[in-house]
Amino acid sequence: MLFRLILYRLLQALPTLLGVATLVFLMLHLVPGDPVDALLGEMALPADREALRHALNLDAPLWTQYLHFMTGLAVGDWGSSLLDHRPVLELIAERVPATAKLAGASLLLAVLIALPLGFWAARHAGRKQDVVAMGFSLLGVSIPNFWLGPMLMLLLSVVLGWLPVSGMDQPGSIILPAITLGTALSAVLSRMARSSWLEAMSSDAIRTARAMGVGDTWLWWRHAGRMAAIPVLTMFALQLGAVLGGAVITETVFDWPGLGLLTIEAIQQRNYPLVQGCVLLIASFYVLANLAADVLAMLIDPRQRRA
Amino acid sequence: MTPMMSRPAMRLALLCLLIPLAVWFWALLHGADGHAVDLDAVLAGISGAHPLGCDALGRDVLDRLAEGLQLSLGIGLLVVGIGAVLGICIGIMAGWFGGLVDSLLMRLADIVLSFPGILLAISLAAMLGPGVDKLVLALVAVGWVGFARLSRAQVMSLKNTPFVDAAVSCGSGTFYIGVRHLLPNIAAPLLVEASFGLAAVIIGEAGLSFLGIGVQPPDASLGTMIREGTSLMLVSPLLVVWPGVVLFLLVMAVNLLGDALRDSLDVRGDVR
Repeated sequence: MLFRLILYRLLQALPTLLGVATLVFLMLHLVPGDPVDALLGEMALPADREALRHALNLDAPLWTQYLHFMTGLAVGDWGSSLLDHRPVLELIAERVPATAKLAGASLLLAVLIALPLGFWAARHAGRKQDVVAMGFSLLGVSIPNFWLGPMLMLLLSVVLGWLPVSGMDQPGSIILPAITLGTALSAVLSRMARSSWLEAMSSDAIRTARAMGVGDTWLWWRHAGRMAAIPVLTMFALQLGAVLGGAVITETVFDWPGLGLLTIEAIQQRNYPLVQGCVLLIASFYVLANLAADVLAMLIDPRQRRA
Repeated sequence: MTPMMSRPAMRLALLCLLIPLAVWFWALLHGADGHAVDLDAVLAGISGAHPLGCDALGRDVLDRLAEGLQLSLGIGLLVVGIGAVLGICIGIMAGWFGGLVDSLLMRLADIVLSFPGILLAISLAAMLGPGVDKLVLALVAVGWVGFARLSRAQVMSLKNTPFVDAAVSCGSGTFYIGVRHLLPNIAAPLLVEASFGLAAVIIGEAGLSFLGIGVQPPDASLGTMIREGTSLMLVSPLLVVWPGVVLFLLVMAVNLLGDALRDSLDVRGDVR
């Protein structure tokens, strides 16, 4: 039963993935005028233009291009970079570990801040502590990461000289990017943790447990904690994908050689197949993370299986 | 229900707006020209003539801030305006007609939502090329979805209420029902969505401009100013501080406004 539900969800994600791939395919045709002109300029030799047009498969009819693109995706041929003709997938694969490292560190940091903070705010709901915690959360969602990054760099690297400015070669170099990327995540998560905990504490089950004499600490952690875990875990799985969107900017700020920086480099070089590959990979991962969130919720909470 | 203006969130929002407003008034009083290059004043410090100093081309930072603030806020309002009209129309249609129309429109929304954060806007803007019009287009392409999903859900819950049935049986047209009966009843959550959406779009615009694919030099947006400031951080660190402070306070004020609206219109917290 549960297995079939999960399979059903997986099948539901397929059309979305197809749609994403279609949109990414169509993106190349958004380039105003002719992508070939945009790449080579107006002064290019006709032979060069034809060669590039052929390399991008732009000389075929649109539906043939589409079929070619989609079958290529399916068999692992994501096209090749316009600059050095290396396969797009190979270039992407080189950058994945750096992004995974950064995303992992930011998520870890976000959870370590968000859970205690959310709990603390819920425990003191409506009082000063709550205001402080939710004030931090508001700061976290309002501060743009492309400004937080440079400010942290300025303070901790330039003025105090504690941490490396950018790159990923030195031991402490992950700290600043992880804080930059993790701040917004922890803000969202702590808000979620607070409201889920409060909602759990006002439920009938908790009232009953309290009436039966369950101690306060046990009540907050054991009973309400488990109830609050469902929305928090779901949110966490969603952030797992969202963090890749934020990584695009954070990696650019800190020159962190991951997938996000690769995307921006590809954009600046007008390396369209590489842009398409990066965007498609990040979006697919995001879709799968959302799926994982759904499945996770179904695993923890039997009520979710009914929907 | 406390009146809007006496809510703590609203007061804090007004407090946050003080500095952006001061920058704006400065520009109004002073007739700011953020493009005037003065090579004698390159990276000049704080002085009477240039209250926040000058940038690498000797342009007055405060004047540029005022221009950037206007452009960033202007783009934000434009994008939210267009996105709201488009999204609400789509959402009401999807909710009202249901069936195939609904499935197609919501599948489209799902696809847009499959891109994390501003990644879709980044890639669209990158493909469309530089220019404010294309920036707006890229942000609208992402921004309509929230409005569409919200208004669809609201319309579906209103569809079978007696007053809508009454309107239908009186022979009211679909458009009339949409505008006169449905829209006023779903306006409150949409207004809250619009204010949080504005905050997101302002950050999004600045982010794209920071990456160099939004507003192009010599025009000033808060994002381009942060970009320019970052490259001069070792020489003149204050250049990156000012635009960030203004941007941050603006976004914070808009977020607080959203909080205050949500609480005073009694919209449930699940809008965001």
